[in-house]
Amino acid sequence: MTSRRAFLKSGAYGSALVLGIRATGGGFRVAKPADRFTPNLWIAIDEAGTTTLAIGKQEMGQGVRTSLAMIVADELDADWTHVALLQASTTAGFTRLNTGGSWSIGGSWRPLREAAAAARAMLKSAAAAAWGVEPASCTTANGTVRHEPSGRSSSYGNLVVAAARLPVPTGAPMKAPADRHLIGTRVKRIDAPSIVTGAARYGLDIRIPGMLFASLIRPPSFGARLGSFDQRPALARRGVRAVVPISGGLAVVADSTWAALQGRRALAPRWTPGRDAAWNSARHFEELERALAVPGVLTRQEGALGPAPDGGKIVEARYYYPFEAHAPVEPMNCTAHVTAGRCELWAPTQAPNRAQAQVAQQLGIPETAVVVHPTLIGGGFGRRLAVDYALQAAELSRELAAPVQLLWTREDDMAHGHFQNASVHQLRGVVDASGKGVAWRHRKAAALHNLSGPPTAEDLRDPVAYFQDSSWGVYDIPYAFSTIETSYHRVDVPVKIGPWRAVYSPSSTYARECFMDELASAAGRDPLAFRLAMLEGAETVKAGGLTIDRRRLRRVLELVRERSGWGTPAAAGRARGVACNVYDGETHVAYVAEVSLPATQRAGYLPFTVHRMVCAVDCGVVINPLGVEQQVEGAVLWALSNLKSEITFKDGRAEQSSYLDFPVARMSETPAVEVYIVPSHGEQPFGMGEPPVPPATPAIVNALFALTGKRIRRLPIRAADMI
Amino acid sequence: MPISLSVNGRRHSVEVDSDTPLLWILRDQLRLTGTKYGCGVGACGACTVLLGDIALRSCQLPASAANGKSFTTIEGLSGDGTHPCQRAWIEEDVAQCGYCQAGMLMTVAALLKANPHPSDAAIDSALDQHVCRCGTYARIRRAVHRAAASDQR
Repeated sequence: MTSRRAFLKSGAYGSALVLGIRATGGGFRVAKPADRFTPNLWIAIDEAGTTTLAIGKQEMGQGVRTSLAMIVADELDADWTHVALLQASTTAGFTRLNTGGSWSIGGSWRPLREAAAAARAMLKSAAAAAWGVEPASCTTANGTVRHEPSGRSSSYGNLVVAAARLPVPTGAPMKAPADRHLIGTRVKRIDAPSIVTGAARYGLDIRIPGMLFASLIRPPSFGARLGSFDQRPALARRGVRAVVPISGGLAVVADSTWAALQGRRALAPRWTPGRDAAWNSARHFEELERALAVPGVLTRQEGALGPAPDGGKIVEARYYYPFEAHAPVEPMNCTAHVTAGRCELWAPTQAPNRAQAQVAQQLGIPETAVVVHPTLIGGGFGRRLAVDYALQAAELSRELAAPVQLLWTREDDMAHGHFQNASVHQLRGVVDASGKGVAWRHRKAAALHNLSGPPTAEDLRDPVAYFQDSSWGVYDIPYAFSTIETSYHRVDVPVKIGPWRAVYSPSSTYARECFMDELASAAGRDPLAFRLAMLEGAETVKAGGLTIDRRRLRRVLELVRERSGWGTPAAAGRARGVACNVYDGETHVAYVAEVSLPATQRAGYLPFTVHRMVCAVDCGVVINPLGVEQQVEGAVLWALSNLKSEITFKDGRAEQSSYLDFPVARMSETPAVEVYIVPSHGEQPFGMGEPPVPPATPAIVNALFALTGKRIRRLPIRAADMI
Repeated sequence: MPISLSVNGRRHSVEVDSDTPLLWILRDQLRLTGTKYGCGVGACGACTVLLGDIALRSCQLPASAANGKSFTTIEGLSGDGTHPCQRAWIEEDVAQCGYCQAGMLMTVAALLKANPHPSDAAIDSALDQHVCRCGTYARIRRAVHRAAASDQR
């Protein structure tokens, strides 16, 4: 099995892009030279001048189709008004389609520019040869090659025939940053027109001839096995075609979605309970508490914890973080068509290549016989890195020998997620008499991600690396304590645990940043000044395989201090809180939150009001500042939902089933969000989909402490916490 | 039961069970997939359509009640994507994943008919039972104000 990081970032490109491969099917077809110019997987230019860009990452709202297109179009000097996108299927060459770990931009940045630079060099060479001039004397802009000395110019469309005959160069020079015209500009989402007219196609919008519609009854508790069932009440419903037991449960297949849902409702299968039928999350939290009392796997150790120095203080606290659902508005679904020895799938998935491989294995056919066509995704947030929906749809299509769309209902989606992990954190810190933090201990007790089962012996050959991977936000603490000890205390669960927006980081960052506030209080220091002071010393610090750059973290903290009015009194009845984080060693984010208490509490709403979130971001090279702002705005709402809802388990099953019992943040709860981007001095962009999530939550919780004087050490926040 | 209904100015006759929600008639029978399924219990708003000038949740309207009525879906909000709300949505770059936006747009179209210049509170009140998991609410609010300002009708 692959490592945690590799799982999340399994869409990372290899070290070199193989040029010259031509895709078929969902990619670019082999072009006759006279047809169009397809120098590599990513670019096709036709004689009319339309540039088609293959998009090899999955769009789930993070704006990746727009930003990847910007990267290629800029380096290619394409005419942005004549760019079309083609979403790549899992056909030859497209082996890096999986999308996660906030790594689409970081990982695509170099290979896509190399591909575009090669294409641009070929177009220039084609024009130069026609004009009898040196390629180096030609320039490109806006889909046109020019030769300034002679005043000649030719559109890319006119050059495709000649360019297609040229060899693909390696090492074609890429643009200098100053020559970029799209990267760094505010570009609106390329899919917006199709979204606002209803033309955009998500997974559930796939319609293929002869397709059937299916719904799946799942086991009522962990590990329950399907027993006997009477299919007649379902078959009596008009439109129901079949009742089919598959490995995931009992499927009802019909001519329409509604008939399938009604047929399902008519069934009452018997189940044989498994050994976890009584499992509940309240007891799990007790187990996590007990696990903290015994030694875990050390994930970082510097110095040795001793007694508090003279005049110093020891602070201890325990933080609780719940299970969470992804709850995307488009529930899990997949449309599959299995025919003799082949399978086609249409799926809103973050992991097309994983779906391809696992479905091939399930059906016992070669991977090349499985093609996954990714659709737009109605919210991903990590849930769709798993491919359970694809496996179920493929199995069902094979049994039916017909194309079938499997819909998970909202209830299915909420209760059968691959949840965000619950955890308990035991923190112990020491400040000396001068108010400096000197020692830090952070124990995290939690399950491990288990989408592919528990870790194997191979995974655990280097247990420290493995558990570091599972504890972003714990072992990579950026602060300069002379003594640091972090550990992971594993408790296995029957719950499926998988990536959620910001993966391992939200719970750990919540505990760490709230406890930093507790230490600041103990030290009698301002929480923002205390953090800055604890980021002095070495400018970079190594933690596991990561390098934390304290200068960049200080800069974002200083920026939110300036922009939020930190240090000046907040408006009457309001208070501020701060938090910061370095996400996976890459994107640096700080927030100042401003909160108050509402005059009246409303059921289903947060028991406090967040007025303003001031955010500073250093994500390296910025592709699309508009996209950066949107991801921060979304992350703030994500954090509010995190403070509002939880998944609990009782009798071996999730207790929540809808947006009524898992309420997410609403429009009336939306604060003003200000985003300040630190100009990058580097040459590498980093992700923005997840990094703004983890520090948003503790910034708000710390503001609530400043307001009420109460530490909130258990999420979600309840009205009683405000009193 | 056989029912007839008008959607986006076109008449349709379909044969469905009387309890079939309008949502599934639109999506499965009429192949108008712009109207989205999100929860099936009226809690998310993704399936919102217009009945005349009234916004309603199509997952909650059975075929028996839809019979003989005229509806507008996102596909019919304008012929060409130039409804003031659609233009404002693009100007404010509202959508992230976009899945909930059809429902948002239909509710806002109805809101602006009833209240051409809504306050923030009126916008919140109209949209507070719509779920956007990507968190686009602030941009939606701005787009509603923009649409209200641009609508010269």
